[in-house]
Amino acid sequence: MDFMATLPTILKAMTMGAVPLLLTSLGELFSERAGLVNIGLEGIMAIGAFVGFAVGKFTGNLWLGLLVGMSAGVLINMLYAFCTVSLCADQVVTGMAINILAPAIALFGYNLFVGSNSANATGSQMASIAIPGLSSIPLIGNAFFDQTLLAYLTFILVPLVSYFFKHFRSGLSFRSVGENPHAAETLGIDVVRIKYIACIVCGALAAAGGAFLTICYTPIYTDGIVMGRGFIALATVIFGRWSAVGILGASLLFGFFDGLNVALQAQFQAAPVMFFKMIPYIFTIIALIFFGSRHAGPKANGQPYYREQR
Amino acid sequence: MAELLRMENISKCFGSFYANRDINLEVEEGEVHTLLGENGAGKSTLMNVLIGLYQPTEGKIFMHGKEVQITSPGVAVQHGIGMVHQHFMLIDDMTGLENIILGDKRHSSPLLQEADDHAKIKELMDRYGLGIDLNERVADMSIGMQQRVEIMKVLFRGADLLVLDEPTAVLTDLEVEGLFDIMHSLTDEGKSLIFISHKMREVMKISDRVTVLRRGKSVETVRVSDTTEQELADLMIGQKFTENTYQKVEAAEKVAFELKDVSYHSSIKHGGLKDVSLAIHKGEIFGVAGIDGNGQTPLAELVTGLIKPESGEVIGPDGSKIALFSPSSFIDAGLGNIPEDRNKMGLVGDMTVAENLILKQTKSDRFSFGHGAWLKMGAIEKYANRLKDENDIRCTSVRQTARSLSGGNQQKVILARELDAHPKLLVAVYPTRGLDIGATEFVHNQIVAQRDAGCAILLISADFDEVLKLSDRIAVLFEGQIMGVYPGANPPIKEISLAMAGK
Amino acid sequence: MAKKVLSMEEKNERRFMVLTPVISVLLALIVGAIIIGCLGKNPLVGYSAMLEGSLGSMAKISKTLERACPLVFTGLCAVFAYKCGVFNLGGEGQFIMGGCATAAVILGLGVDGPGALALGLLAGIVAGAIWGLLPGIMKIARGLNEMITTIMLNYVAMYFMEYIFKNAYSDQGLPKTIAIPQSARLPQVLGTHVGVIIAIALGIFIWYVIFRTSFGFKIRAVGMNPIASRVNGFPVKRLVLLAFIISGAIAGLGGAIELLGKTPFRLADGFGSGFGFDGVAIALIAQLNPIGAIVVALLFGVLSTGGTMMQSIIGVPTAIVDIIRGLIIIFAVAGMASVRLPKIKAFLATWGARTNKAEANA
Repeated sequence: MDFMATLPTILKAMTMGAVPLLLTSLGELFSERAGLVNIGLEGIMAIGAFVGFAVGKFTGNLWLGLLVGMSAGVLINMLYAFCTVSLCADQVVTGMAINILAPAIALFGYNLFVGSNSANATGSQMASIAIPGLSSIPLIGNAFFDQTLLAYLTFILVPLVSYFFKHFRSGLSFRSVGENPHAAETLGIDVVRIKYIACIVCGALAAAGGAFLTICYTPIYTDGIVMGRGFIALATVIFGRWSAVGILGASLLFGFFDGLNVALQAQFQAAPVMFFKMIPYIFTIIALIFFGSRHAGPKANGQPYYREQR
Repeated sequence: MAELLRMENISKCFGSFYANRDINLEVEEGEVHTLLGENGAGKSTLMNVLIGLYQPTEGKIFMHGKEVQITSPGVAVQHGIGMVHQHFMLIDDMTGLENIILGDKRHSSPLLQEADDHAKIKELMDRYGLGIDLNERVADMSIGMQQRVEIMKVLFRGADLLVLDEPTAVLTDLEVEGLFDIMHSLTDEGKSLIFISHKMREVMKISDRVTVLRRGKSVETVRVSDTTEQELADLMIGQKFTENTYQKVEAAEKVAFELKDVSYHSSIKHGGLKDVSLAIHKGEIFGVAGIDGNGQTPLAELVTGLIKPESGEVIGPDGSKIALFSPSSFIDAGLGNIPEDRNKMGLVGDMTVAENLILKQTKSDRFSFGHGAWLKMGAIEKYANRLKDENDIRCTSVRQTARSLSGGNQQKVILARELDAHPKLLVAVYPTRGLDIGATEFVHNQIVAQRDAGCAILLISADFDEVLKLSDRIAVLFEGQIMGVYPGANPPIKEISLAMAGK
Repeated sequence: MAKKVLSMEEKNERRFMVLTPVISVLLALIVGAIIIGCLGKNPLVGYSAMLEGSLGSMAKISKTLERACPLVFTGLCAVFAYKCGVFNLGGEGQFIMGGCATAAVILGLGVDGPGALALGLLAGIVAGAIWGLLPGIMKIARGLNEMITTIMLNYVAMYFMEYIFKNAYSDQGLPKTIAIPQSARLPQVLGTHVGVIIAIALGIFIWYVIFRTSFGFKIRAVGMNPIASRVNGFPVKRLVLLAFIISGAIAGLGGAIELLGKTPFRLADGFGSGFGFDGVAIALIAQLNPIGAIVVALLFGVLSTGGTMMQSIIGVPTAIVDIIRGLIIIFAVAGMASVRLPKIKAFLATWGARTNKAEANA
């Protein structure tokens, strides 16, 4: 295989593959910075994928689809928020519950949607916009500067998120909730409110990540389209060491292996291609082995917060 | 002097339990007012009501004569009330500056203005003599500096009334002097301090007035100049307080446990051990005194098999050098352990009292057939009930979860379990932490009884009085090193105190 | 037998612990009925069709049991793991690898007869155990979050199975393996395969191990408080690793039995699909009780086989059953958490005192 010849294709696939992961991971970053580990991302992405697809097809407006999809994600994540923040339920258990319920709702909705009109099975795809000049850069130009508008917005989100956490007062307060919520409470910070806000942001961004799959990546929806990305997002946050820029790097890396998988499949069609398909998942494990640290991350991450302590 | 704070008829109940009942507290401007009471008397609850973490079930609060509703910590801050907690409320990963300005609502810009805040804080630091490295991560700071950050948090928000909850617990004598200096400079400017402590000597030294709490009620408020330590102690207990004294022995016989030049993480001053040598004899209580954080935890972990020494030798009850460091091998060799944190380390909270009592014996023939293949539930319950009666463990049933017991009863469960195994070496780490006088006495009596029966006992405690009371010999830990070993009978307190501060 | 003397608070807490799953199921069915109603169909007709379709005749009951069988295994897999504090989300992968190993051994060695059957079951157990061991080692050695690693391995297993049925043992190039020979299959009993009986027996055995043996005692202790367990001399790392291995083995056995007991006796696309997460849901709804897991698995079986009937009778997509399943677990999670909240606990305490007073005065 001529690696250099296929590299541009791989890089293009890398950025495409990185975007849904990046969106979802950024959402999870907000959640974990507030001390909430949300393993239900997979389910939220499914909801975002379906609703984004259906509304986009129904109204003919992909951006409206994205918006409604994000709202649906927020709604679903409010279930998670209520259970974990107000009822102090175990975060992992609640996340799993979301993972079971949300894709079911998505599948149900899809069956109804296509059942009513079989033409609904195929939607439209967002067009790529090439940035003049930059998109002609050899090798990387096509990959980074000929993408959909949603992809560009996602990349712009990275420095914005980073700036928020580093330079805004509310960013500092936000972080304190994930590190030591009791300390934050004594300083008058409304811990419960911040946790709910984190869930709103996480729900919106994760759903956007899912919606990207059905309105930019492909023009269709299938059951299981998320393919474990919601869980890879959890690894991305760890691998990216809870920083927006780190998460960008990690997402691109995962996206690269995803792209590699597709390129290998195209090149070696005779081979048992399923081994190539394993690559992104095995890579995630290897990344965690080498870069996952036992004690990193917000100190109070994953712990339930009881407001009035007895 | 003018009245600053008045808490009138404050009651706070949790379910059917009254933590505070009809408490009256009045603090003047510019005074140091001590809140005195034993563990469980209701001091923390009352202060949590004051700073808005709890809402009072009944009663009113007045600041400068006007009634106020303190519905949240934010509101308390607005009224000029701030608290320095016993267990610091700091974000370890953030710098001193970030911790101080966190959540401050007085700014117009949503962006951080670190330079401005830095200047403001520096001015306060100079005014009150609080030395802080603002750019250092809290996790890297000394305990003393962390405490100063806590105090600065409160001053930065313009507090006129500061509550200091057991601030001297983690300080050396020298640092306590420094704290008292800071307190004086605060009161000189008209600020008021509520000082919570149970260390009589300090209370007499620093306070203007003292309010004594007992079993949730305010008993009396006296001027320090009008009273004595003995009187205060009597008020605290509710009856003539006689210090329970124990006979000290000199056990020169068999060594039950020995450490020879043991080191562990020796470069770390607060968390390591350096060239520690000590020998514990059968039938004696060997007490280790020192300020918390000077090596007590690694010492306890070493002696219970949780960590391995990096150099040096450890010699076990049978006289031979220990090669394998694991809790189970130590337990098999006759170790009994009353750990530092009963909920985290001693008990499985969600298991029943009975299950906790037989925690280490599930494979024995007494409680199972076939070496653990079928548990004898009936035998287990009978045994648990026997221990419950013998040790006065107050619970409705041994089928209750351990978590649902009070602190004192939880400790009784641990004691019952450990002592019934007739250990050769009993390690007790801060065994009366958070317990009231009754439970404390029970624990102390049990420990002394074990000593009299021939057990070797290692008592590690940050409560100096406890160590003085029980130990037959006293060693002092400072920054991971043994500073000296002193006799328990007629101990040279001055010398020991100096040793605890590193001299 | 010693009389149970518990505090009023704890008696009520226990009552609610049992009631919560039941109420969750009822609430979920009600919400499902509302959804069906919104679609213009009659929920009562739908639910009776569901019952008829799953339990209406001996043949249907057998089918339901068969459908529930793999879920018992993945459910027990999750129960055992979680009892030790191990979040094994890899039941699906372990199930699949069990099936793959069974297929590889029987089809690969070309054996048949009861010996092959035994060998196949053993292969399934071992493969599942290994697939559970991998994330276990990663957790013990490097502290890797097992939720992520087990799910990643699920996908790896899924693709590996694709290799097995598309390449290794494909039936004339079709995307399915050759069928397991007749003589190596699980014998039938009462219209269903013996695996169902094995499943129920296993559930009872797991209950015994967890609650009546020293080993199970330690597993539970580690799950509740690993630090205290270590201080008191338990070999925590070893126990956690065993939890991974045993739960994986259970799921692997499930996969073997599914292949050897159920038509079409072949591995193909979709083998084991969804069983893993179902198992997790079952474990959580049953509140980590092995016997409860059997009951909930049977319930899921009813929902599954009944759902197909419901779709054909009233025309609602079968995904409604998935929604109902999801709702059961959300209600169960919310319910279990609510019961533990301090305010609710206080309420329960006074409520219990009042009813008992009423009983005493009656």
